[in-house]
Amino acid sequence: LIFVSFQTVCRQLNSTLWLNVGGRSIHSSAVCCKNRAARIRVGKGDRPVTYEQALHPHQIAHRKGWLSQHTSNLQGEDGAADRTVEDLFIRRLIYGTFHGCLADELVIKRRGNLLVICALMLQKLPPHKYYFLVGYTEELLSHFYKCPVKMEIQMLEEKSVYKYL
Amino acid sequence: MTASMRIASVRLLSKTRHYFSSEVAVQPGARTVHHQPASTRNVCLIPVAFLHKGRAYGTQSSSVTVTEEPDLLFQKLSVLVKSHDKAVLDSYEFFATLAAKELGLTLAKVFEPPKNIERLTLLKSVHIFKKHRVQYEMRTHYRCIEISRITGSTSRVYLEYIQRNLPEGVAMEVTKTAIEKVPDHIQMPLWSVQSQEKQGSQ
Repeated sequence: LIFVSFQTVCRQLNSTLWLNVGGRSIHSSAVCCKNRAARIRVGKGDRPVTYEQALHPHQIAHRKGWLSQHTSNLQGEDGAADRTVEDLFIRRLIYGTFHGCLADELVIKRRGNLLVICALMLQKLPPHKYYFLVGYTEELLSHFYKCPVKMEIQMLEEKSVYKYL
Repeated sequence: MTASMRIASVRLLSKTRHYFSSEVAVQPGARTVHHQPASTRNVCLIPVAFLHKGRAYGTQSSSVTVTEEPDLLFQKLSVLVKSHDKAVLDSYEFFATLAAKELGLTLAKVFEPPKNIERLTLLKSVHIFKKHRVQYEMRTHYRCIEISRITGSTSRVYLEYIQRNLPEGVAMEVTKTAIEKVPDHIQMPLWSVQSQEKQGSQ
């Protein structure tokens, strides 16, 4: 009798004290909980990654700079959508023109009317081809956007690796 | 000497405006020195196909012209620069204050208005998942440089120098407070004019 009563007391204690504490249940999360934007997921450790790719977008203005510098995202300024579309077009055009030669992302700067495209290139082609392609893109883009376009390229031997992820 | 005394005797009206107007007549003998920016010189007739060249802009020395019209006077010239990057604003402030000191301008105030953060909370996914959002923010830092008691030609030179060296990603707003001569019809108060007339009639 005493044993049964002890059991019932334990069950009552269980029900009152440990009702909501330490319960084990299945946690099902929706697929898009984690952020995946502009970041390379950690892998086996054999994939070389540049500084730009290794740092996540929340590090911008902290450990990273800006790839496209213009005034349209400031308070009280307009034209943000136009500048973004122009930037995307320029990035795709140059990625295609200098296919396989780009070491890192482009940096696009706007100073007044002038559009400056700064690129890091690998030494894949002979120099006279680089000169021709640079002149060709400058001429094409300046006719397309009706503003002076300048390209400043810097040559590298190979891609600069920051980490292996 | 006489010109400065004339300024002291005439009561001056301040008017904040963004454009020039040639109504100031404080120093009739003063001359305005105009600096024509290099872009307005030499209008060349070139066919449209060759106009857009990505080469260096023509750096020719600007001509100095002397005219008889009186120069504008500004009580305050306020230059507000805004950017996403505070370090860029720090270096630009150093540059602008150095330029002002070299030109001999009086820097009234150099201060930093509080930053403005615009936050957006958007849905993370294209279709559903209302509970999962992503937050973005755009920070705008400001810096204000106020210069007091400057002439029109000096302000033009200073602003042109400052604006040619504006870094990318930095926007500038310029506010000028001009000084004008008080119009003749309100020089004397109405009640004193009326009392003079009454005394004259009596």
